[in-house]
Amino acid sequence: MKTKDKGHILTTRINGLSSFYHREGRMPSFSEMEGIFRLRSKSAVHKVVSKLEAGGVIRKDGRGRLIPVSLKFPFRVLGTVEAGFPSPAEEELADSISLDDMLITNREATFLLKVSGDSMTEAGIMPGDMVIVDKGQTPKNGDVVIAEVDGAWTMKFLKKRGESVILIPANPKYKPIRPKKELRIAGVVTAVVRKYR
Amino acid sequence: METQPLTIHSWPQAILHVDADAFFASCEQAIHPELRGKPVITGKERGIVAAASYEAKARGIKRGMRLFEVRQVCPDAVILPSDYETYSIFSRRMFEIVRRFTPDVEEYSIDEAFADLTGLRRTYHGPYRVIAEKIQQQVEQELGFTVSIGLSLTKVLAKIGSKHNKPHGLTVISGRDIHLYLEDLPVEKVWGIGANTSAFLNKQGIRTALHFAKKDAGFIKSHLSKPYQEIWHELNGRSVYPVVTEAKDSYQSISKAKTFTPPSADETFIFAQLSKNLENACIKARRYMLGATRLIVFLRRQDFGSAGVEIKLSLPSAFPVSLMEPLREGFRRVFRADTLYRQTGVVLAGLMPCNRIQYGLFDDTAKIEKLTRIYEVIDSLSSKYGKHTVQLGSSLPTKLQAQHDGDRGDIPARKYETFRGENKRQRLGLPMLHIKV
Repeated sequence: MKTKDKGHILTTRINGLSSFYHREGRMPSFSEMEGIFRLRSKSAVHKVVSKLEAGGVIRKDGRGRLIPVSLKFPFRVLGTVEAGFPSPAEEELADSISLDDMLITNREATFLLKVSGDSMTEAGIMPGDMVIVDKGQTPKNGDVVIAEVDGAWTMKFLKKRGESVILIPANPKYKPIRPKKELRIAGVVTAVVRKYR
Repeated sequence: METQPLTIHSWPQAILHVDADAFFASCEQAIHPELRGKPVITGKERGIVAAASYEAKARGIKRGMRLFEVRQVCPDAVILPSDYETYSIFSRRMFEIVRRFTPDVEEYSIDEAFADLTGLRRTYHGPYRVIAEKIQQQVEQELGFTVSIGLSLTKVLAKIGSKHNKPHGLTVISGRDIHLYLEDLPVEKVWGIGANTSAFLNKQGIRTALHFAKKDAGFIKSHLSKPYQEIWHELNGRSVYPVVTEAKDSYQSISKAKTFTPPSADETFIFAQLSKNLENACIKARRYMLGATRLIVFLRRQDFGSAGVEIKLSLPSAFPVSLMEPLREGFRRVFRADTLYRQTGVVLAGLMPCNRIQYGLFDDTAKIEKLTRIYEVIDSLSSKYGKHTVQLGSSLPTKLQAQHDGDRGDIPARKYETFRGENKRQRLGLPMLHIKV
């Protein structure tokens, strides 16, 4: 059994840590980790912890307490399958990213919005869709933005032409908007989420 | 004498106090942008003003005012139900933004935080004021509401600063300038000085905070107790109160209350509300592994008068089953028939860690052990299927009356305008913008 896949052991340990974290709402102590990792000494636990820390799974705060980094129910990206199974080498920690991490860049500035209109249907944003809005980003040319134009709210493509700014819909039913007096951009749409079932 | 600075050291330490402006109402304006600039009030489900936007305050609306009065004073006020889910997300985000600048952040209350900036000038290549400005600006851009900031040498002074200019103020009180801000400040306005102490100080001829700060150490020591001596040091720019960065992991007391409209005189229903309050308080106590030694039961009448009673418990506990008898006893003592009540509440006080409870010789430890196991199971069921999956029979009659009957407007929009995959109990931890696009 000496040749047992090291990657597999590590994965099992991370899963153990993850389920503890999600069950208890906190990280385990070193003695609790002895149980989770099936180890008999704290120094062995320490080694695993250092490994996980180096792999970016957890980190330590100023007082040495553990903080989870990517224990948030990660979906494991296993690489493209060309033939047979992905190689264990691809099953590296760094490959794991959660949907949260993928969809949210700056959590503090992220808001959800339920789309009600149909002005962006040709860009694939349908009524009822959830869009993720980032208020912290600077809007760039071509971004989909949530904006207040002359007192009315709208979601459109932002087009900058020199000094002037135009808001362009993705539906021939609607006309482009040229702000007359005031344009205030509330946030940039960074993703659309549509759940089917 | 009055113009002499209290200290010549400008920044021995730099403490920041962030205070969100009209927090609950501002959160509503942030997620309902069309409400900016309008008088907004939260607390619809309670029948009283929980928070009022600055526009509403300008029209004479105050916290605690009843809603029918609000409609008279300000007919165009937008009255919304409290959406604590959203408010607590915004609160957490505000703390996170402050944490971008310094790890030493104390979450003082839902809408206030202290932060220690000492030594960060080098990191941010500028004076402390610049850091405060950045915090203020990032909160406004990312969260969509304003905060008032006080920056000074101590917590007490920082708090004076954030109050000095509200809303959206930034007041920097350096060591040399402390006296300028204390000069006109009545002593009772200082954080921690209550009505009794200020009355006493007034008798001693001390009316302003500066007066108080300038009193000599001998006088302070012989006339005042330790907490006020500490405030005196703080006013003089000597930091005594540290910024406590630990997340709150212990409580002095835990209280749970519920308001219901319309008010009720139904004994069974009211007791059921209390029973549910008790269960909720116990859930929280068990989460922090605490047991209560005192139980306070209170009822609030329709006329807003309230009656309460405190009961000493023979054994510290966080199990509703064993607190049922004291609860009934308390209820018997405060409940009056034929009276309309609008709120019930329970406070677990004198909390102590469960593992430090000393059992007496005649206590039934076997039974306690059994209860502990039962509640472990109940708590694990709750975490899987939702709170109150296993509930006391006495709490069931709460369902006799919807918490707030009347229109759907009494429930915050986030609760019914959900996305697919969200449900009544669990939603994404992100605030929802209510914009029609």
